[in-house]
Amino acid sequence: MDITLFLQQFLNGLSIGSIYAIFALGYTLVYSILGIVNLAHGAIFTLGAYFTYALMGGNFGFNGLLANAALPIKLPFAIALILASILAGLVGVVMERVAFQPLRRQGSDPLLTVVSSLGVGVVIVNLIQYLVGAESYTYPANTYGNLPPAINFGTPENPIPIRSVQVVIFAVSVVIVAILTYFINRTKYGKAMQAIAEDPTTASLLGINSDRFIILTFFISSFLAGLAGTLVASSVSIAGPYFGIAFGLRGLAVIVLGGLGSIPGAVLGGLVIGLVEAFVPSDFSGYKDAVAFGILFIMLLVRPQGLLGRRFIQKI
Amino acid sequence: MNNAIAQTIALLSTCALLLTGCGGGGGGSVANSPDSTTNNTTTNTAQTTTTSGAIPIGIALAQTSNVALLGQEGFVGARIAEKYFNSKGGINGTPIKLVSQDTSGDEAGAINAFQTLINKDKVVGIVGPTLSQQAFSADPIAERAKVPVIGASNTAKGIPEIGDYVARVSAPVSIVAPNSVKAALKQNPQIKKVAVFYAQNDAFNKSETEIFQQTVKDQGLELVTVQKFQTTDTDFQAQATNAINLKPDLVIISGLAADGGNLVRQLRELGYKGIIIGGNGLNTPNVLSVCKALCDGVLIAQAYSPEYPGEINKVFRQIYIEQYKKEPAQFTGQSFTAVQVYVEALRALDKKTKISTLPLDKLRTELNKQILAGKYDTPLGEIAFTPVGDVIQKEFYVAQIKMDKDGNTGKFVFIK
Repeated sequence: MDITLFLQQFLNGLSIGSIYAIFALGYTLVYSILGIVNLAHGAIFTLGAYFTYALMGGNFGFNGLLANAALPIKLPFAIALILASILAGLVGVVMERVAFQPLRRQGSDPLLTVVSSLGVGVVIVNLIQYLVGAESYTYPANTYGNLPPAINFGTPENPIPIRSVQVVIFAVSVVIVAILTYFINRTKYGKAMQAIAEDPTTASLLGINSDRFIILTFFISSFLAGLAGTLVASSVSIAGPYFGIAFGLRGLAVIVLGGLGSIPGAVLGGLVIGLVEAFVPSDFSGYKDAVAFGILFIMLLVRPQGLLGRRFIQKI
Repeated sequence: MNNAIAQTIALLSTCALLLTGCGGGGGGSVANSPDSTTNNTTTNTAQTTTTSGAIPIGIALAQTSNVALLGQEGFVGARIAEKYFNSKGGINGTPIKLVSQDTSGDEAGAINAFQTLINKDKVVGIVGPTLSQQAFSADPIAERAKVPVIGASNTAKGIPEIGDYVARVSAPVSIVAPNSVKAALKQNPQIKKVAVFYAQNDAFNKSETEIFQQTVKDQGLELVTVQKFQTTDTDFQAQATNAINLKPDLVIISGLAADGGNLVRQLRELGYKGIIIGGNGLNTPNVLSVCKALCDGVLIAQAYSPEYPGEINKVFRQIYIEQYKKEPAQFTGQSFTAVQVYVEALRALDKKTKISTLPLDKLRTELNKQILAGKYDTPLGEIAFTPVGDVIQKEFYVAQIKMDKDGNTGKFVFIK
């Protein structure tokens, strides 16, 4: 592999990996508070991308119930992105109230909650198809304003072109991870979330309203999923209602690799999986998933707590 | 508790790993579908077709999955045909009724849809499935049950050869594809180096790229690289860079709408300036919504032109435009044609022997013979079938994508 292609794939891997990171952070937050994996996360990712499309005034195709419908507003990409992520966050809150809280109240087995979340994911995906059809949608041509289509990281003689959208995605992801890290470690709310993650009973004895923080966690988690969905869609367009499924699965690989419930672990896992995928030879691109899950499998055998996870201690 | 969760995740991930592994393999296991269907069919054949008064024709197209785009386009054409021919008296007074079963995007889905249509819905014949890849698994089921199948979008090599009951109205890629290479050479006679891309996980695209590569050689051009990808891929920067480094003057892509559109977009973004030819999988307006302004100029060979002056095409095009405010796609025209072939064959058969008096198995066999014997004036032009069931079509076209100034809307402009 020549150096141009190596550097290009390295930067490409960082960009994909950073998206995996913010997506997997959503999984990790819910896991650390509730001890469950939310399998509807991939569907929320898809939903975020569609919300942004709608808020930018995009027209829907003729196959769904909302044939040819469009919102009367045309928001710029940055604002649509934030609003859509907030909407995705709110859907996450509704999902928590409808599909998670009742089971938690009954003290159900966590596996039931996982299955319930899978059900929510399937419902969301089918609802999207029912409403707007299976067509692919792309944000308007001028999404990133006057940015050139590619940025040259090499010399004019020896160009290393990287698509601008990949650079934007990487930058946004770095900012989001920084904000989230600050929020979790430095603010009162973040510390309360950590306390609940550590021990919900003790946290409630200390006067922390755990129910409220569960809602907050779901909001942030789904916000991140919606944001990741929009960023990915701005790079490769929304390929239909199913486009979050592959992401949902890879996100699982990322959190297990990084360590369940570990925030730095999710970031590291995301970057590792992104880079490994980028270096799968293009002739074998169909095996990217297999590579990601192969790594996960080896990790579970060799170091079940993941790269940065804590070892489970069986308390008797 | 935590251990239990870790185990659950391990289990789920293993399942996911197994699923992805099987997806890549092309589903060899599903091809050996249960043989019990054939037995069921033969025992049920004594019933007549017209339980509800209408003659059921099966539509087995993808309504879900990543091929739903193509399936939905085909579905629309079939529905227009149903409405139109029923308004013209159906089969000498008896209406037809389309029975739809979703094939999804894989082989297992197509097999299930075929079995349901044949055994439960008791259709006289089937239109579908969407992909050639699916046809190779599902068509043998209809063949064993002796139920006619007309492929409306299967263009890979070897489809009609699956059996006596398998025909298609979609002209094979070997006849359609070379037209676009000739059109590219007409636009730029200086073309020398050609880079070819294809989706390696799809039977049709594999078969199409062989034709393209042969055409490139036949035209005396140099094939500088062949790059492979998957229809499920979204990132093509490695392949695009590999190809661009070899400085090609022409790029030929065999893929489907979403992946093909993204590949066009990324080739352009990374600086490729030459002509791009798209294969049949990119032959849908849905590709425009993926690469937007960067789709401009892509050449695609066509088996259907909305501008074909035939009478039936004018009617079909008008109904379509009234309903959807845009030009019909090739797959829409082809599935309309497939239903039309059934209708006209049934009419001809009914004139010979009243079809309501025929038992279902006899009707299916006679209908199959009639389909292959007839000549049809369709939106695709005048068509007939070879004895093995391949379409004989006269007119082919090449279209070029022209995007509007804002880059958000565009259309296929016919250049030949």
